[in-house]
Amino acid sequence: MAPKIEYYCPCLAESPHPPPPHLPSSSYSFHPLHNLFFCEECDAVRCNRCVLLEVSGYYCPNCLFEVPSASVRAEKNRCARNCFMCPNCRNTLTVVPSDPPDNGDMRTSAVVTTALGEPPFFLYCNHCRWDSAEVDITFEKPTGLAAQLQKFEDSAPESLEFERLKEHFEPFLRASSSSALPSATPAHHVHANPITAAASSALARDIPGVGKYNPLARSRIGRDKHAHRHELPDYKARVEIASAAALSGEADVEFLKHLESIEEVASLEQRWTNSWATSLRESDLKPLRIPLQSKKSKRCPSCRHILIKPEQKAQSVRFKIKLVAANYLPAIAVTLPHAQAALEMMKRSSTLGKSTSAAAAAEEQQAAGALIPGHSYPFHLAFTNPLYDPIQIRLAKAVPQGEIVDAEKARRSTFHIQLPSAAFPVAAYAEAWEYDDDEEDMFGLDDDGMEVDARGKKSKDGRGKSRSVGIVERRANVTVVSGEVLIPKDARGEVKFNMLVSYTYRSDDPETVDDAEAGTPSRSQATSRAPEMKNFSFYTVVDLGTIAHREETRLSVEP
Amino acid sequence: MPPIRDKFTIHSKAVVCQDVELKGDITIGAGTIVHPKATIFAIAGPIVIGSGCIIEEGAIIVNRRKEVMRIGDDNLFEIGCRVESPTVGNCNTVCTRARVHHTLRISSYCVIGAGVLVVPTEDEMLDEYTVIYGPAAERRIWSGRGKVQEMDLRRKHAEYLREMLPKFNRLRRGDGT
Repeated sequence: MAPKIEYYCPCLAESPHPPPPHLPSSSYSFHPLHNLFFCEECDAVRCNRCVLLEVSGYYCPNCLFEVPSASVRAEKNRCARNCFMCPNCRNTLTVVPSDPPDNGDMRTSAVVTTALGEPPFFLYCNHCRWDSAEVDITFEKPTGLAAQLQKFEDSAPESLEFERLKEHFEPFLRASSSSALPSATPAHHVHANPITAAASSALARDIPGVGKYNPLARSRIGRDKHAHRHELPDYKARVEIASAAALSGEADVEFLKHLESIEEVASLEQRWTNSWATSLRESDLKPLRIPLQSKKSKRCPSCRHILIKPEQKAQSVRFKIKLVAANYLPAIAVTLPHAQAALEMMKRSSTLGKSTSAAAAAEEQQAAGALIPGHSYPFHLAFTNPLYDPIQIRLAKAVPQGEIVDAEKARRSTFHIQLPSAAFPVAAYAEAWEYDDDEEDMFGLDDDGMEVDARGKKSKDGRGKSRSVGIVERRANVTVVSGEVLIPKDARGEVKFNMLVSYTYRSDDPETVDDAEAGTPSRSQATSRAPEMKNFSFYTVVDLGTIAHREETRLSVEP
Repeated sequence: MPPIRDKFTIHSKAVVCQDVELKGDITIGAGTIVHPKATIFAIAGPIVIGSGCIIEEGAIIVNRRKEVMRIGDDNLFEIGCRVESPTVGNCNTVCTRARVHHTLRISSYCVIGAGVLVVPTEDEMLDEYTVIYGPAAERRIWSGRGKVQEMDLRRKHAEYLREMLPKFNRLRRGDGT
């Protein structure tokens, strides 16, 4: 329950105002900074909900082989090479040799220098120790597993049925795709591959009410009706449905009746990556080919400018184009100084034993940061400037929208926020060695009585400050300001408020206005050919935590 | 609570680095390797470790019970794990950052997966060849295929460490006090 701050993305909404933060649905409009992008053309923040996604390539997550998009469909979205997935825990399988036969004297041999292991080989999962020998899949050679498993997969009844269906429809597809074309260009639209033939005929499908898409035909309507006059012979399935039920339906019921433990049934996560329904038994699970993953590029929804473009190579995690909001917007971090002070005290006093589990530590942290009604707490906002120019930031409480003012007022009476009202500068980002020195300038009203504790140049807590709203610290390209939250005695709920952050920065691009180029620069502002001051603002939501219900007195850190 | 009296019996062929925290009555068998920064605390009762075990960095073996904690042969305690189990058999693997409670007794050829927290509510003995894996500590029985190769690999691992560790770390010799 550490205090956090999230940024608002309007997602192409007309009004830029964010929804009130206490509504449960408003959490979907607010994102942490690392999830946001920034479009330079539109000068707007974009989030994952509003960007356009395009697939830029497919790859296998195990062997990192880039699969060309044509083969993706043919291979049914799976890796065609030796990459298999454990059906039990969905980890990657490795090919291992079997043990040599047991001689009984293994314990006495001290060092065995030659590698053990002999064929047959099988697939083995390192995580859950499942192996394919449990389903009787073994190989004679450790390579070329795909081919060895191919005939195994092809003999599955569903796969045979699918092949038969395709064979049945193929002459009909060829006839309809060739008859829809004029005789002038017959050649290049006849598809050899039945899959692509099926795809193109899906495009040419007869949908009532919609004109048929036909790129080459001159007169469309008459020809279509003609084409579909072909008689379609009835399809006879390979397996009669009545008897097929015996394969899956009743057999499943029998199996479930005689279950001994729930682990014998394959779980949903283990079964749903299959292309068709497989057996329910855990012991029947076969190794699966690893599904391919895709690399996506993201575009701005309004101007279609590319925001994110990954590199083509599967193993590189970098991007050719990377317009992320963190390079444009200042990063804001919220802390509650009284919580930190309490935590430090607890850490020093507790023993070094490792008996503190993670859950207990989290609980202590939450108790340390509790906001007790009837008190007022300062909070610190640290702004980090990513631009190479200094910026001036101005904060404001977000004005709530018109209709819900009453509800807002009722909410607002629960806690009051004081923010620094003046604009404060944040220095430009520069390399570490370019800063003069690391001293902190202390602005504000707390020159006296401030103890700099041994933690170093971290933020000071609220003790000894008469008024705590203002700049706390300035260091490199970070400025810490503090505000205050007052919680009246009968307040409940979470302390969340919308904050409008606007900042002005000097942009280096001169305004491309035609009249500025003519003659002498004669603008009224001082910035003629010089860089312009640009202004940008965005909304954020600051969440300081939940107001503690009970009056806890054990961790009060009041002056 | 009586003060803990240190009594370390370390076999001459065992390799125990200087930087290990030992407390209490500890017996370490032949060929066992204890990496630096491991912790073996025999707080309430003694600990007896068999031969050929490998205890890696950050591993914590604690005995808070009065009875003897016996650890068998050829076990591997990976980095950051924490074992309080009163009985550990042979050829087990406790993977990285796993935590085993004192109510669980481990037999042989078991594998406690990485990061797994095994806290049964009542005393339990794991069957042989049990594998515990996943964040929810699911269990399954290993078929045992590949165990010969794994034990061979462990022996080679121990052999290599026995040769390399003393070159770069100071060793602690067993003192009788």
